[in-house]
Order: sequence, then structure tokens, then C-alpha cells
Amino acid sequence: MTGSVFLISGLALLFLGGVGLLRFRGPYERLQASGVGDIGGAVLFLVGLILRLGWSATGGILVALILFFVFTGPLSTHAIAKGAFVRGERPHEE
Amino acid sequence: MRTAVLVTLVFTALPPLGRLWVGPTLWDRLTGAASLNVRVTLALAAEAAFAGHGILLDVALAYAVLGFLGTVLVARFGERGQR
Repeated sequence: MTGSVFLISGLALLFLGGVGLLRFRGPYERLQASGVGDIGGAVLFLVGLILRLGWSATGGILVALILFFVFTGPLSTHAIAKGAFVRGERPHEE
Repeated sequence: MRTAVLVTLVFTALPPLGRLWVGPTLWDRLTGAASLNVRVTLALAAEAAFAGHGILLDVALAYAVLGFLGTVLVARFGERGQR
């Protein structure tokens, strides 16, 4: 039951991140929507999988996957943003 | 439950695919590709956990590592430019 809640909220967060990735205006806004939605949605989804299917079957590798997402999501986001800034992309002025 | 989760995950992967298709700059396409990598990894993990194929979890972990390395490599390459 709790696992289903985590699974559904993770899928909803992934979908909202995708909508932000499709609808936002510049590269930095899209990057922020994608980064937040992907990491949060992935962690919620994997916690839901662990809670739903039990710890013993596949728990260790799923925890390793959660830690991998948490540590490398900001790194790839920062690499993309730094490349965009160095190549002359600037944020929109309001 | 398994089919519903997988179909919803595929439906979730459509917006990054669209951004990968139409993105005006390289950085938009790279963002879409990184987002798509996350979805594919989650689909592999969900299939492994629901169907009981333990080997697919190792595949998902290796796919996540390779996707991260590819994202960082393409970002560094695009940052350096045509020199």
C-alpha cells in the first residue's frame, strides 16, 4: 500500500518534470525542471519498488541505484549547465 | 500492476523524447537524453523487480553508469567547441 503511494508519486513527479522539460523557455529552465523532476521521481520510484516487493529480493542493488542517482544527477546537470554557459548561452532577461 | 507501471513509464518518457527531437540547442538535446536515460534505467529496474529477473538489475546499474559517463563526455566535448 505504502509502496504503491511511493510508486504513483514518483511517476507523477517524473511526468511533471517531463512537462516542464517540454514547456519551459530556455535551456537553463529546462535543465532545472529536468534535474529536479528526474532525481526526485527516480528516488521515489525506487523507494516504492523496495517497499512494495520486499527487502530480500533485490534490495541491495536498488539502494545502490538510489545512491548513484542522488550523487550523479547534480554532477551531470552541472556539466550541462557549465557547458552551456561557457559556449555563450545566457539566461533570459525578464 | 507491472503492466500499468511500465506503460506509465513509457508515457512519461515521451516529453524527453520530444525535447531530444526538436531541441534548439545542443544543451536541450543533452538534457533530454539524460532524462531519457533515467527513464530507461527505471524501466529496467521495475521489470527486474516485478518479474524477478535479478540479472536485469545489474544491467540497469551498468546502464546508469554508462549514461552518466556519456552525458558528461558529450557536455565536455560541446564545451570545448571546434578547436
